[in-house]
Amino acid sequence: MARGVLIDLQRITKVFPPDTIALDNVSVSFEAGEIHALVGENGAGKSTLMKVLFGLERRNAGDILYRGEKVDFRTPREAIAAGIGMVHQEILLIPEYTVWENIVLGAEPVGPLGRLDVRRARDVVRAKIEEFQFNLDVDALVGDISVAARQKVEILKLLYRNVAVLVLDEPTAVLTPQEIPQLFGELRRLRDKGKTIIFISHRLDEVLALSDRVTVLRRGRVVGTSRTVDLTKEDLARQMVGRDVLFVSQRQPQERGDTVLRVRDLEVRGTDRHGPLHDISVEVHAGEIVGVAGVEGNGQFELVNAIMGLIPVAAGSIEIEAKDVTHADILTRRSLMSFVSQDRGRMGASLTASVLEDAIMTHHTLDPTFTRWHGVGLDYRRARSFTEEIRKRFDVSMRHPADQFQSLSGGNQQKVILGRELLLDTPFVLMDQPTRGLDIGSIEYVHQLILDLRTNGRAVLLISADLEELFMMADRIVTVYRGVMVADLPVEETNVGDVGLLMLGGIRRAHA
Amino acid sequence: MRKQVMSGVAGVFVALVIGAVIMLVQGFNPVQTYGALLQYSLFTVPALAATLARAVPLVLTGLSASIAFASGPVNLGQPGQLIMGAMGATLVGLFVHAPAPLMILLCIVASLTAGALWSGVAAMLRRLFSMDEFIVTLMLNFIADYFALWLITYPLFDPAALSPMTLPVSTAAWLPSIGGLNTSVLVMLMATVFCWLVMSRGRSGYEWRMTGQNALFARIGGCKVDANYVRVMLLTGALAGLAGGLMILGGSHRFVKGLGASYAWDGIMIAVVAGNGISGTFLYGLLFSALQQGALGMELITAVPSEFIDVLQAVIVLIVVAGRVSLNLVLDYLATRRRLREAQ
Amino acid sequence: MNIFFGLVSATLVGATPILLSAIGGAFTFYAGIFNIAMEGMMLMGAFCAVLGSYFLHSWLAGIACGIAGALVMAGIFVLFAVRLHTDEFLTGIALNLFAVGATTFLLRDIFRVKGAFTNAGIRAIPTVTLPLLDHIPVVGRLLSGYNAMVYVAGLVVIVAAFAIFHTRFGLRLRAAGYNAACLSSSGVPASTVRIWSLVICAVCCGLAGAYLSLGYVRLFSENMSAGRGWISLAAIILVSGNPWGIAIISLLFGFFDGLTVFLQGSRIPTQFTAMIPYAATLVSLYFYSLRRKGRT
Repeated sequence: MARGVLIDLQRITKVFPPDTIALDNVSVSFEAGEIHALVGENGAGKSTLMKVLFGLERRNAGDILYRGEKVDFRTPREAIAAGIGMVHQEILLIPEYTVWENIVLGAEPVGPLGRLDVRRARDVVRAKIEEFQFNLDVDALVGDISVAARQKVEILKLLYRNVAVLVLDEPTAVLTPQEIPQLFGELRRLRDKGKTIIFISHRLDEVLALSDRVTVLRRGRVVGTSRTVDLTKEDLARQMVGRDVLFVSQRQPQERGDTVLRVRDLEVRGTDRHGPLHDISVEVHAGEIVGVAGVEGNGQFELVNAIMGLIPVAAGSIEIEAKDVTHADILTRRSLMSFVSQDRGRMGASLTASVLEDAIMTHHTLDPTFTRWHGVGLDYRRARSFTEEIRKRFDVSMRHPADQFQSLSGGNQQKVILGRELLLDTPFVLMDQPTRGLDIGSIEYVHQLILDLRTNGRAVLLISADLEELFMMADRIVTVYRGVMVADLPVEETNVGDVGLLMLGGIRRAHA
Repeated sequence: MRKQVMSGVAGVFVALVIGAVIMLVQGFNPVQTYGALLQYSLFTVPALAATLARAVPLVLTGLSASIAFASGPVNLGQPGQLIMGAMGATLVGLFVHAPAPLMILLCIVASLTAGALWSGVAAMLRRLFSMDEFIVTLMLNFIADYFALWLITYPLFDPAALSPMTLPVSTAAWLPSIGGLNTSVLVMLMATVFCWLVMSRGRSGYEWRMTGQNALFARIGGCKVDANYVRVMLLTGALAGLAGGLMILGGSHRFVKGLGASYAWDGIMIAVVAGNGISGTFLYGLLFSALQQGALGMELITAVPSEFIDVLQAVIVLIVVAGRVSLNLVLDYLATRRRLREAQ
Repeated sequence: MNIFFGLVSATLVGATPILLSAIGGAFTFYAGIFNIAMEGMMLMGAFCAVLGSYFLHSWLAGIACGIAGALVMAGIFVLFAVRLHTDEFLTGIALNLFAVGATTFLLRDIFRVKGAFTNAGIRAIPTVTLPLLDHIPVVGRLLSGYNAMVYVAGLVVIVAAFAIFHTRFGLRLRAAGYNAACLSSSGVPASTVRIWSLVICAVCCGLAGAYLSLGYVRLFSENMSAGRGWISLAAIILVSGNPWGIAIISLLFGFFDGLTVFLQGSRIPTQFTAMIPYAATLVSLYFYSLRRKGRT
């Protein structure tokens, strides 16, 4: 199937200031007409390598050969013009524009006076949709269509520009298990029409199912390139992590305690900033982890915000340890709950503040030992010793408490946040995708912490987009679909396939 | 912190060089001009005292803007709050009679209150109707200006004067000078120390700063973001009001047409160059005051018009602010180079 | 009837500078720039227009110089905010300060005056009588005989509406505001689009400034933009940049501005009538907040 080397990356090196080596002498070659998977943990350099190829990041050393010639794309425009297109991890489309507007943007057919030739644009786009059998409405607003459809728009956008090479950065991360085979079918069809596809992923099953060849990256270096048929899942995992990885849960059976969180018939009205919630009832007991599964955007955001007191509750109640906090102010809630958000830079910490300033948040007002002069002053000596305590107990690697929070690596940032939240003396812990964007080592660490919380009798509500994670951690899994809770099942009585179906609104089951 | 000082000093230096180039182009002698500038702002005792006195409104409005910007609210209303504060002090000075120390205290309280009330209007409009304080405070500046002009043109007009101004306030309200130094400088120093304590040692200052950097995070962390917003607006309004009050008590002793107009954007400008830090605001306040004070002497000795200083100030702002960002880029570049060499 | 005609004329005259600078600002608004430098651009434009008109003895040269002056400001904005990534808000503030400082300095340096420069040598922008309309009784009096810049402003609105919503440039312009990363990865650097939006903004603000000093009045005085740049910013925010909306809002402000002139003869002190445009801005912000609340 392969017809010789199309792209040859030679000894690419990329440094992120001040001193992170993202890519270290990376050499990979991609052949024409193959599906080539680029595999590695978060932070291994997969996306960076592709961004260097695509002209989004400048490399510090190394050469790129394309069709046998040295090339140097300084902008995505040059890369696209040469025939290389990239679909980014986070979908880069304009929700306010229609499908055809998004597709032609940057390469629009125009009439006199620079006027957009709307009819020609729509015709060309429609023809492309038919050619590749993508089943899309050209006039739909991108904001109104599903995530899977948006991904198709992204791919079409590149096909409209007649690219020969498609780079897809973690395309399955936003899809449900049921949508993935459809995408794979489309990608295979593209390959059979002669396109080269570079597929970035860290999900081993998908890589094995789809790709022709695999290149594994670890910490900015190439571990090796192999033909997929020669590999097993265990081989890949070992290459990725550098050691054997267990795919089993460490969760020990344990008796659960009293009810800590009780959410009853929760209703939230939708606005233009968030969707509605209906009929949400969850209980979390002491010493229990309850997982919330669902495709992103089906009510998890609203549930977190309602429990935190960031959006108003229209009906129903939220109780923590029998205390009604449905309409309580945030500070009252915080005396009862810890919160680890999915968005470290927006909700979990201030990136521009110092590590110390981020570490003492909430403690500064709940714990009187942090204040002086009857609460007027802040005791910075106590704050420093507290930051030091977090550093030691949670194994944070940092230089000085006064350093900017954003100078820490993602894993260390999350450790500081976890330290701050878990050292709050609260019965309930709300965790919203606490492992998002972390490398495998940090993920394992966070998982162990969550299990320790369970052992210590805290109640944990864990929201995650990763079903595997939920099945490893949770005692029970509730599923949300379009703002409604459609199931509440003990993990022993369900499986990934069933929950995946529930996430798509397949069936509605009685609560167990 | 060290980076701040470095980029500040370098930025001011570059700006002065650009100023020198502009002068050369215009056919002036930069060395002579800068010499005159220094001589008339720092090198004699009276000049230094005048520079310090001029720094009072600059530093105070600068602190007002710095604290506001660092804490979130975009309070651009210092000019209006300054006018209202000056008017508050004037009214008490004109119509209340009390012995000297008490009188001064009353006038200062009146200026603080008037400034806080004026920013309070903007805070209230924001809290009740979510109207952006940034445009509201700007519009209130114009309204305050015309309102004060009306007051001194009609009800409070001094019939003996040629242009609109009030009668002088009671002499009991005049701030004394000690050895040629205006005591309003002492009030300014106290206010600066107070602001530093609040922002760098206080719990409120911590919450305000965190809110200014990431309001959502501060809110989730349990800070009372809405109450803090109102407090910051009131405090920063009071500071600007105090600047106006001290201009009356320690300066003209009466409300004169155009008072405060020349200080209109200076506070905001100083906050911007200082990167909203308290000590930086104080230092840049002194620097800009020295420039403005020296400008008059500069015009006397050289032919350079004093308005040149307005240009120089704006150039300093642009260069220092841009320099802060560029310095980081340069440092990043150097770090990358170093790491690459190590890796090879 | 005379009062009515007078008010219509005063409205159009007062609306023109706000309209022009707001349309300019609308382009940067759509491009996703927090541009508060309209005030400074307008002021610089007004000064340079007088400069050009006085020394080159031509109002056309005056307008050209006004635009050039505003373009210099845009150039500084591009250098700092787009190229060096300085904060847009801070750059805007610094630019406004720079405009006040530079015009005051140059006024003193070139014309040797403080406060204001007025001279018979300044050529004003002429008024235009519309050939056909002029003879129709009421309509002619309503629509004909204004300063040329008033008609230019009307034209600018139409061109802006077409450019923003129906052209390739407009599609990219709005994309830069909605999602700059998306535009850049589509092969059009968002920074290029932003630079163009600033250039357009400067041209419009230059026209507005030239109108102020060569049409509205025939002189330059310190800080003569008098917050119009800020009012136009409020207008942009109120209608989210839509050119037709800007036209309506500007006419409203023009009406209040006209009212100010009208009430000058009455018993209400001029200080209070002078407050009207600023108070009107506050009132319109209030209604805007009500509308926004109604939506959520």
